[in-house]
Amino acid sequence: MVYFINDIITGALIGLLYSLVAMGFVVIYRASKVFNFAQGELVIIGGFIVWFTTMQAGLSLWLSIPLSLVLAGLVGYAIERIFLTKLIGESVFSMVMVTVGLLILLRGLVLLVFGPAVRPFPIIFPLKPLFLGDMLIPMNLLIGGIITIVAAVGLSWFFNRTRSGLRMTAVAEDHVVASSMGISVKGSIAVAWVLGAILSTIGAMIFLSGKSLTFLASDIGFAALPVALFAGLESIGGLILAGIIIGIAQSLTTNYLDPLIGGSLGSVVPYIIMLAILLIRPTGLFGWRTIERV
Amino acid sequence: MTYQSNRGLRGLLAAAALAAAATMPLKAQAEETYNLALLSDFSGPYADIMPILAGGREAVFTWWNETRGKELGVTLNYKNYETRYDAAQVASLWPGIKSELDPIAVVGLGGPDVAALSERLPEDKIPMFMATAAYGFAWQPDAWIFNPRPTYSHESVGFLNWMREQRGGDEPLKVAILASEASPAYVDMAKGLELYAEEHPEEIDLVEVIYTEVQPTDLTGQMRRVVRAGAEALVIQTNTSIVVAAKRGLQANGANIPIMVSSHNGLPASGGALGGLEQMEGDFEAYGMAIAADEDTPARQFYKTLVADYGLEAPWNVVTAMGVSQGLYTVTVIDHAIEANGAEGLTGEMVREALFAKPITTEETHGFLPTLSFTPEAPFPLEGLKVNVGTVKDGKITIGATGVDVPQVEKW
Repeated sequence: MVYFINDIITGALIGLLYSLVAMGFVVIYRASKVFNFAQGELVIIGGFIVWFTTMQAGLSLWLSIPLSLVLAGLVGYAIERIFLTKLIGESVFSMVMVTVGLLILLRGLVLLVFGPAVRPFPIIFPLKPLFLGDMLIPMNLLIGGIITIVAAVGLSWFFNRTRSGLRMTAVAEDHVVASSMGISVKGSIAVAWVLGAILSTIGAMIFLSGKSLTFLASDIGFAALPVALFAGLESIGGLILAGIIIGIAQSLTTNYLDPLIGGSLGSVVPYIIMLAILLIRPTGLFGWRTIERV
Repeated sequence: MTYQSNRGLRGLLAAAALAAAATMPLKAQAEETYNLALLSDFSGPYADIMPILAGGREAVFTWWNETRGKELGVTLNYKNYETRYDAAQVASLWPGIKSELDPIAVVGLGGPDVAALSERLPEDKIPMFMATAAYGFAWQPDAWIFNPRPTYSHESVGFLNWMREQRGGDEPLKVAILASEASPAYVDMAKGLELYAEEHPEEIDLVEVIYTEVQPTDLTGQMRRVVRAGAEALVIQTNTSIVVAAKRGLQANGANIPIMVSSHNGLPASGGALGGLEQMEGDFEAYGMAIAADEDTPARQFYKTLVADYGLEAPWNVVTAMGVSQGLYTVTVIDHAIEANGAEGLTGEMVREALFAKPITTEETHGFLPTLSFTPEAPFPLEGLKVNVGTVKDGKITIGATGVDVPQVEKW
């Protein structure tokens, strides 16, 4: 029974890591109605920035972490300025296609700049797990879970209680209308990409702490996708619940069903849950329902 | 002009004509050129090892062209094609490769090449030579795709039996395997070992079969299962990221179960990804190929020749050894085909026939591979299978054992 509870806790914490990466999807979507297919690549870019500042530049973690977050924010800002600003007012489809192009471009850039070698990622969180009796909780996931919840509360407050956040929501509704109301569409979208890049970098630190770094780590973006769609692409608070549900379902499947069937159903379960929810409620659990009056 | 001078001129012309006639066959020999298509992954999951592996095999082709090739009047041209380790990419590239190069052989990389081309190569009558161990799903008679090593499961079984002998006692060795459904080859590694353990319960007790992603989020829970099951060895023949995640999972559980890795995710690569080879202390790599250890072996001497005279820049490690051994058995088969058929008009079919006609001796591959006797029954030699074992001792790779017998493994 202890192990069963332990698997539930670990699963919930892995789910929260997915939620953090999915938050990048949601922040950008909420500000621009653009689904960023390159979210996993932003995680990799963030990971390489952290690796470079610590392992290459030799900075201490206390210095490299804030510096990496600033650099990641600048990368997000640059991406928005170079690729997306000119598309404001164009169809959302064009912007989404640009993110598909970004996915390929960023992968190529990572290979070109950093090369293909598998690198050791710095140990940011203690490797020694937390022992609660017979239970064992990985420290990076535990601290990551706390960071995710704090980030979710902070971002919910930002989007729902601050003028900047509400302006971003208005931008997502309609670029032209928001512009005509005096809201800076460019500014709002830029803030969203900066936030998305910073969240991805935090996700990279939790995900990769003490492990290895290659561009394959971008797969975490696909792992986070079911969480974002399950929660509904506009809900930050919903991500927490969706992440926990998906993480627990995945953990229990991996630990109890997979050994029986001799396969990897655990990696598929998040997508099964996502599809089931989308069939019942196409906007996800907490997504906004748009009512159009004709 | 006098008679004498005329005679001198005629003599000179005759000598020139003779000299020209004597050089003509040589000139004609040197004109025989054959193409090899090299399938590579410089931007996919094996992008980290590809430049090293490619360096190894290309240096062998250069060496062969400048030595045996010159003697035989044959030049082997080659061209790399980027497959991203993706079967769909290989399949879409193949018609273009065939029309552009008309190769007499393909030098492949991994499972996606096998999956994409196993139906096409018999029709096109072009053999493909791999560097890796073989796959159970490709274990068919009348193959056109060949591996110098037995299947990954043969290699792991050979190693596990050796480990059981080292441990002593009659109890079966408790083993866990970490695989992934990301590639058919990864699944195959687990399936073969599962079947062997099922048929030989007195030798191997397979306590856990775990499937994970190629870049796992966390394996602490899975490693706890492995530890609780009392595993004495953990087989990981997939990639370095999984080795790193498993190692961290074992460390979190306070356990130190020896890990066995393969050649493509060998000790140097996995150790490097963990931050240092010393992190893999007591772990093993096992495969049917020379171990790239510090010892001065014939394989290492040949590697030094390639570095000194043929521009090889890759370091002495298992991936370089893999590339060199692939190049060596490929050129040896072509050499045998030329011996049997002459240098002119060589075809892929003749190269394949030469593979069955004559064994490739360990001397011909400079000790990189054991003597290989291919038969039409399987894509890899079924007799005389051996594996070598490398381990990390005091932070260095050393040879744990050489020529370990591989027991008979049934087809799965």
